[in-house]
Amino acid sequence: MTWTRRKFSGFAGASLVAALGARAASSQTKARVVVIGGGIGGATVAKYLATSTATLDVTLIEPKQLYTTCFFSNLYLAGVRSLESLTHDYETLARQYGIKVIHDTAAAIDPVAKKVALAGGAKLSYDRAVVAPGIAFKYGVIEGYDEAATQIIPHAWNAGPQTELLRRQLESMEDGGVFVIVAPPDPFRCPPGPYERASLVAYYFKQFKPRAKILILDAKDTFFEQDLFEDGWNRHYPGMIEWLPGQFTGGIKSVDVKTRAIRTAGETFNASVANIIPAQVAGELAQRAGLADQSGWCPIDPMTFESKLQPGIHVIGDATSAGDMPKSAFVANSQAKACAFAIAAALTGSDQIAPHLFNTCFTLLAPNDAVSDAIVFKPQAGSIKITDIFFSPLGESGEARRQAAHQADGWYAAFINDVFG
Amino acid sequence: MTASRSIALAIAVSLTILSANRGMAADSERGAELAATCAACHRLDGRDKGIPSIVGMDTEKFIGAMADFRSGARSSSIMHAVALSFSDAEIAALAEYLAAQPKETKR
Repeated sequence: MTWTRRKFSGFAGASLVAALGARAASSQTKARVVVIGGGIGGATVAKYLATSTATLDVTLIEPKQLYTTCFFSNLYLAGVRSLESLTHDYETLARQYGIKVIHDTAAAIDPVAKKVALAGGAKLSYDRAVVAPGIAFKYGVIEGYDEAATQIIPHAWNAGPQTELLRRQLESMEDGGVFVIVAPPDPFRCPPGPYERASLVAYYFKQFKPRAKILILDAKDTFFEQDLFEDGWNRHYPGMIEWLPGQFTGGIKSVDVKTRAIRTAGETFNASVANIIPAQVAGELAQRAGLADQSGWCPIDPMTFESKLQPGIHVIGDATSAGDMPKSAFVANSQAKACAFAIAAALTGSDQIAPHLFNTCFTLLAPNDAVSDAIVFKPQAGSIKITDIFFSPLGESGEARRQAAHQADGWYAAFINDVFG
Repeated sequence: MTASRSIALAIAVSLTILSANRGMAADSERGAELAATCAACHRLDGRDKGIPSIVGMDTEKFIGAMADFRSGARSSSIMHAVALSFSDAEIAALAEYLAAQPKETKR
């Protein structure tokens, strides 16, 4: 060992002693992180904070006892997967990782006093807060579609009772009926979701109501993986699914909830069963806590996911305005990890590594025909940009698609284990 | 050797040991952070269903597989994207970390 190296070690050691001293001093009052929202982003960030080498006091606030994933819920609508198999609890997070799980609603955040007020009356102090509120719906953009209307025409874009309601309606629909899906404008949660829903409901209709039709009234003129979907529809469900872009209908204007008549600028369409997926913004707490800008979404630092509007509060998941990153569970999980490492680094004064940000998505055209995509992102010039993007090719072999469907199943199990297990 | 010099030497030696441990801990922490990316699809408890387990994997085998995914010699759009995004140094750190993780024995 050379002297230079030894001297260097000495310095490194000295700074370690200082760091250990700081950690020992703070161990009486561990740094507190309060995570609000127990969806994929919130649960992931809580787990990765709790398992960090930085010793942190992690609290997760989520009103519901159980979480049902919206991803894979189209398989429930197809009748091939139970809702129970998509429903998960917080027990492992609490028991194995020591996360304090509080089933309550965050009523307000005071970013100056650094306190979260719960609806139940408690006030929690934090050193850092993470807000993962998901999405809220912009009711009233389609006239007649408000929150009360969702009890008759479900959005089914948060999984649970809404998804069950839609499944019951599809089951009781007569053969020869028309199922109308109203697809939202960008940006919205799960870009392939409405079209996968059409595919998997068609799979159900093909077996049980072969004369039924599916009509997609879209706010947009194109959609994600459109060529892959249209190819799949032609192969599996010829003539069953019709997609009408915004430029054709002139836009969706209003709905008569009682008669399920959906009026566009040009025509009115009568649905036997309807599913209206409204335009979206960041979840309600983000709006109330001043985390969202005029776009309705939350601007964040691309390295740390700290809010650009409220220092000390990080925002992850669907609620963020994160450059090129789409709103998906995989993205929420990827952002949550980067955010957890950034918070741990900030609270221990260590260096943060450049985050790896990904999206991977398995999309089912039929239960045995899946396509996938993989996107790599990098923080760049204050935003997040796509650096690489890959899709399953058109004309892949049936065997490749069956394998992808099998992988999708394995992915779900592993992903849930990563988030809740 | 005076008492103060021997104390100084003892401190220097212990600092060297501490810093060596710190280097290993930092490598392992870095490996764990990188492996968090893998954990979104591969279970790190060694169980697998549809997606292969990567824990307890031989380092050379892991590095070779990542090189093949990166070049396209092994086809997978997802793994191609992942392999492109990791540097050689990151893949080496991941290989060390994953090789050191125990394989699940019970099924």
